[in-house]
Amino acid sequence: MRRLFAGLPGPPALRVVIVVAALVVALIALFFLFEWAGDVLDTGGVVGPA
Amino acid sequence: MIGLGALILAFLGYQLVGTNFLTARSQDLAQQTVEEHFVAAQEEIEVVDTLPSSPVDDNGTTQQYPPADEPPVVHYREPKPEDGQAFGVMTIPKIEAEQVLFEGVDRATLKKGPGHMPWTPLPGQPGNAVVSGHRTTYGAPFFDLDQLQPGDEIYVETALGTHTYVVRDSFIVTPTAVEVTDPKRGAWLTLTTCNPKFSARERLIISAELVDGPNFAYALAEREFVPAAAS
Repeated sequence: MRRLFAGLPGPPALRVVIVVAALVVALIALFFLFEWAGDVLDTGGVVGPA
Repeated sequence: MIGLGALILAFLGYQLVGTNFLTARSQDLAQQTVEEHFVAAQEEIEVVDTLPSSPVDDNGTTQQYPPADEPPVVHYREPKPEDGQAFGVMTIPKIEAEQVLFEGVDRATLKKGPGHMPWTPLPGQPGNAVVSGHRTTYGAPFFDLDQLQPGDEIYVETALGTHTYVVRDSFIVTPTAVEVTDPKRGAWLTLTTCNPKFSARERLIISAELVDGPNFAYALAEREFVPAAAS
């Protein structure tokens, strides 16, 4: 993880910004993935065409 | 492997626990807005019909209903709620469930609580009112719906008043079995949810009949005397 951080371009402050931005994007992607996959457990019970 | 396990745990935690908090907050907020809706909608309740001056039964025989010395049977209608609006409260004593109902069955609406299919009559109205809800996520309002048996009561409070339903049947269908939403004579409430628990493979259907409420007499008279094609 430290090696990954060290491999990022720019000064340390910029690297921190990049890491934070990447984490935010990953969390948002994870949220939408969970929402989409949630239909496997429970779609809300609506009946209708597939 | 550890990362994958953590991801699955996070997924289950979010779906089975985290979403419940989101829905609980929506339900708390809706408790107030539904009261406001009741007050506003009660001013717009209208008498749609008085039934029937000279009804005919299924055999085409003219009937006198209600008897001449009784008041006419009245059909009351409340204004249609807007999409996503909280419009009623459903209580199911058997499973200790009390849920604010919302108009619509889109994903966003069902995250707030059980939703009413907009193309079916509102609960308390003649016909077949259909309400869908989550079984295991987003507050799991219908988690114990499989415990309902014929004879169990369901109460729905709307701007019009309290409508009492009694469960007549429960059964399981495929997710595409739209026939459960078909119109019916009389006044019915159909609840739909995912089945089995933690799977969306099937739908559990609860069918309940109106036995008391502002439109009960009208629904009864309509069921007995008005040909289905005319209802």
